[in-house]
Amino acid sequence: MEATGSRAHGGDGVAGAGEAALACTGLTIRFGDFTALADVTLSLAPRRIHAVCGQNGAGKTSFARACAGLIAPADGAIAISGRPLRAGQVADARAAGVELVHQSFALPPSFTVAEAMEFGLTGRAGAIYTRRGLQARWAGHLRALGVEAKPSARIRDLPVETQQAVEIARALAGEARILILDEPTAVLSPTATEALFARLRRLRDTGVTILIILHKIREVLAVADTVTVLRGGRLVAGPEDAGSVTSDSLARAIIGAPLRPAADAAADAAAGSVSRDDASEDLAALVGAATPHGMSRHPETATRRVAELAGVSTRPATDGQRLDAVDLVVRAGEILGIAGVEGNGQRPLVEALAGLVPLARGAVALDEADVTALSLAERRRRGLRIIPFERNTEGLSLSSPLWENFAARSLLGRSALALIDPKRLRGEAEAAFATWDVRYGSVENPARSLSGGNAQKVILAREIDAEARLIIMAQPTRGLDLGATAFVWQAMREARARGLGLILISSDLDELFDISDRVVVLQGGRVAGRFDPPYDLAAVGAAMVGGDH
Amino acid sequence: MIELIVAVLRTATPMIYVAMAGVLAQRAGIWNLGLEGLMITGACAGVVLTEQTGSVAAGLAGAVLFSVLLSALLWLVIEKLRANPIIAGLGLTGLGLGGTDLAVQAVYGSEGAVTAPVGIPTLGPAFGQFGLLDVLILAMPFMVFALWVLLRRTRFGLRLAACGEHPFAARSVGADPARMRLIALLLGGMLAGLGGAELSLGGLQIFSVGMTAGRGFMAFAAVIFGAGHPVGATFAALFFALVEFMGIKAQLVFGERAPRDFVLMLPYLATVLGIWISARLRGGVPLNTIELRDG
Amino acid sequence: MRARLAAVGRAVAFVALALVLCGAIFEVAGFSAPDMFAAILDGAFLSDGALAHDLRWACPLFVSATGVVIAFRCGYFNVGTQGQFYLGGIGAAVAVAGLPGWPPLLVTVAALLLGTLFGALWAFWPGWLRIRSGTDEVITTLMGNFIAGLLLVWVTSGPLKDPSGSGQVTASRPVPLPIRISSDTGVSPAILGLTVAVGALVWVLVNRTAFGVLGGLAGRNPVMVTWQGARLSRLGLGAFLLSGATAGLAGAMEVLGPDGRLVSGFSPAEGFTAVLIALVANLSVTGSVIVALFFGGLASASLYLPVIAGLPSAAIDMVNAAIALFITSRAWPSRFRPARFRLRRASR
Repeated sequence: MEATGSRAHGGDGVAGAGEAALACTGLTIRFGDFTALADVTLSLAPRRIHAVCGQNGAGKTSFARACAGLIAPADGAIAISGRPLRAGQVADARAAGVELVHQSFALPPSFTVAEAMEFGLTGRAGAIYTRRGLQARWAGHLRALGVEAKPSARIRDLPVETQQAVEIARALAGEARILILDEPTAVLSPTATEALFARLRRLRDTGVTILIILHKIREVLAVADTVTVLRGGRLVAGPEDAGSVTSDSLARAIIGAPLRPAADAAADAAAGSVSRDDASEDLAALVGAATPHGMSRHPETATRRVAELAGVSTRPATDGQRLDAVDLVVRAGEILGIAGVEGNGQRPLVEALAGLVPLARGAVALDEADVTALSLAERRRRGLRIIPFERNTEGLSLSSPLWENFAARSLLGRSALALIDPKRLRGEAEAAFATWDVRYGSVENPARSLSGGNAQKVILAREIDAEARLIIMAQPTRGLDLGATAFVWQAMREARARGLGLILISSDLDELFDISDRVVVLQGGRVAGRFDPPYDLAAVGAAMVGGDH
Repeated sequence: MIELIVAVLRTATPMIYVAMAGVLAQRAGIWNLGLEGLMITGACAGVVLTEQTGSVAAGLAGAVLFSVLLSALLWLVIEKLRANPIIAGLGLTGLGLGGTDLAVQAVYGSEGAVTAPVGIPTLGPAFGQFGLLDVLILAMPFMVFALWVLLRRTRFGLRLAACGEHPFAARSVGADPARMRLIALLLGGMLAGLGGAELSLGGLQIFSVGMTAGRGFMAFAAVIFGAGHPVGATFAALFFALVEFMGIKAQLVFGERAPRDFVLMLPYLATVLGIWISARLRGGVPLNTIELRDG
Repeated sequence: MRARLAAVGRAVAFVALALVLCGAIFEVAGFSAPDMFAAILDGAFLSDGALAHDLRWACPLFVSATGVVIAFRCGYFNVGTQGQFYLGGIGAAVAVAGLPGWPPLLVTVAALLLGTLFGALWAFWPGWLRIRSGTDEVITTLMGNFIAGLLLVWVTSGPLKDPSGSGQVTASRPVPLPIRISSDTGVSPAILGLTVAVGALVWVLVNRTAFGVLGGLAGRNPVMVTWQGARLSRLGLGAFLLSGATAGLAGAMEVLGPDGRLVSGFSPAEGFTAVLIALVANLSVTGSVIVALFFGGLASASLYLPVIAGLPSAAIDMVNAAIALFITSRAWPSRFRPARFRLRRASR
């Protein structure tokens, strides 16, 4: 273990003098046949903010979880301040001062803030507390960290950024010396991201070593002291001093090739009909290297309104989300982007269009006909198609055969007792999968056998058919790798070219700016801003948090 | 009035002990439908061992031991073999019902009822009608309170709840959900064994095959009616017992006009009513996500 | 095909594991496990006429099990087969008692239909409660079993009581011979025909209709089919009704067939065994045929054991229960699986 410090790429004296706060040698993580992390050796200096970046599937989360003891690596060792860590032992890692804040937070929703702070503490678990005593105990800690949450509030009632602040406070409740944050900005608005970064800098100055996982270059350059890049589970660079990297060099390291040629290659590979400009912008958007100023693609003769919401309000759902007097129009041949911090009405918007929630007020029209009173089945018959938020629960039945997943939509158009011919349905699925370039073994295999990108293609194949008029795409590229993301975008552009209307809901502003013809910002269930290209990041960001725009 | 209180307490207490086992399992994220099996095992072991040794203490110890063993088996099947908890629980119930039948025949050679020479000590005639209450009944409120403290006022309770509600959160603070569930099931096994023993040794000191007649399932329903809260489940069980008492009273008053079989149905109907009410209170969201599903 | 073989192998392995557990319990209880299993095997399959007895028990069990297949496939744990079975029996007896002097064939058909209807109605209310208010169907159907059992006691000791009957067990008047669909042996062309017809119909329903495919999808992932526009309430209520109907039909077959009258507490293990058959067969209709024959054998052995071998019939209940305990297992003990694989599942 002693050799760790010297063997690591210490470049620029980053891990320099003194003991590394966190060092790993030959770290390898496998899930079954899949190698998530391969032979990673690095060492991180104390009291710095270390960014680890890479695309989806680069192994960032596995790395973070292994450091926190949640995953036992197949090979290799981790040492905290020079002391080796027993593999896969959370208690060990926590005793050494390592705390992990998860991407999707890990706090039981029914707990109060005080309970959420308490349940993770180590030490005697049998001591009896009183509710008031517990709240008093944690009120001070929360105040000191600047967390604006009442200790008696329930986690599920808090906005996401407060939940995250509580989880960070939870992580700091003990003697945390290394704080690991797994993509903390994914759910935050630009303003909240800035606040988080300020908080992290303060923490660093009090002596905490911070490991932050990011995939946006802009954010990396804004916060990090050092940068480490993972690609395909391998360490490709770092930790390097953040001052010595440029957004261009970082993008190159993340994607694995120089930016411009990579764009050309991707354009050749992924796109027949997509122009080079599109593809290169796509790549830039993918890594958040720059905000592309999307070409204005005003639909020429498109005047037909394929979808219209008129003054639509819904009652608050269990998570508090609702729509409040929303007016929206989607025309044939355009992509309407919906921006907003997660949890600001995106889900009710989709459900209102789908007819899955009753409206408190307002009307929904599809293809210029009122459908407010119609069921989802009837709306689908009129050309509504949905790529839902959760691919693996709402989009697919993972344990069901692929052909059943594919056939579901067409079967719902028939009477329940109508006889079906499974052989024909399988054939239809095979034909559609071939068109959409789905890589699969057999249509009898369960959907869980597919990778994320191929699973998304199955959903696209099902939802984008000849009768489609309006396609709602909710977070369609989340968790997909580069190629699959480019594929989804190409599919959207092709659908637009065929005269369909599309609604794209995304928390990725780069993606929205790149592909949308117009962008609408939802905030607190209301339309907080409408934007046309070229988009102004600052203005959109302000609208997302309820600013003046 | 005193008669009512005493009768309801005597009927409800076995169910309450068993329901507490259900609460523990529920908090840890397991739907324990094996409660019926644990209860009958406790009832059988209690009477048979008391009869064989002449000591109630031995009977109670046996009841607890066998119930804990069965709980451990359930844990093994659910956690290690990843069986569906509902079906495995029903299997455990079947094992308890069949096993006690088999045990009685193995020991006594017939399927008849077994009578224990002594029962659980009671207050005695000095206390008038309250004299019928035995130590387990008297200890019941304290046991419920202790469980409430454990579950709602200690970090152990928080961690157990985290294991049930958000196992990943529990894991990421270093709690092992499988281990916490084992603790919950073993502790519950002890309580369910005591509940079973109270059923057989507490009143008539008789064990007969199949004598639980669904009380374990009712205890499980009490857990749901009581929203997984120890005190709530206790009141739910008291409610079921009250309904049963009222039925018997009604039969005494109305005689033939209240047919016996319909009176016997009342507790089951009350159970259905109870979980229907709790479903309405939850807002119509189904509780269990069935294990045969995706995931 | 390989997946199907693996499923069969898995089922066989867990049944074997259950038998090992039972053997251990038999030994602890002071019985000789080998003797016990030999007697069970004898009673189930080897003794004279055992196969005919198997068939007598397997037919109603299979019919009930097809209902469980439908409900479980659609994701509803209808464990109220026993109660629905009893209500079917009551329905048949009511029809027989209520239509005196009608042509026998008509009465038989009416009795089968009324039994089916009663069974469906007894599944309707838990289904309705589940679908309208999310009331857990496991509890309601279990409670329904107890209530139906008491209803059966009341019917056989009250309205339909056979006044000439005596002894502990109450029963209705015997069903007149021309109305019955089999003799006491329980194997007749009528019963076999009914069983095959139900099996074929349910097979088509499950494998060759939109209801079957969508129900299966809904059972595995109700959220996904909701987003496809399905009305879960309709699918679910349909599943409950069909499942209750088959159990009711099985009850009617029992009363009109081998039993020949409505007996209080008849076939007490029917519901549980039907659930087991469906689960061991991995919710497949064709698989249920073979598995039903196996459990039919066990059912006939439970009569054979006390009479011929002098062993307690509870042994069969134990075997059934132990199979239930293990049959839904989806994993081998962790020693046989790479630990990392489990971690990934848990951390997802």
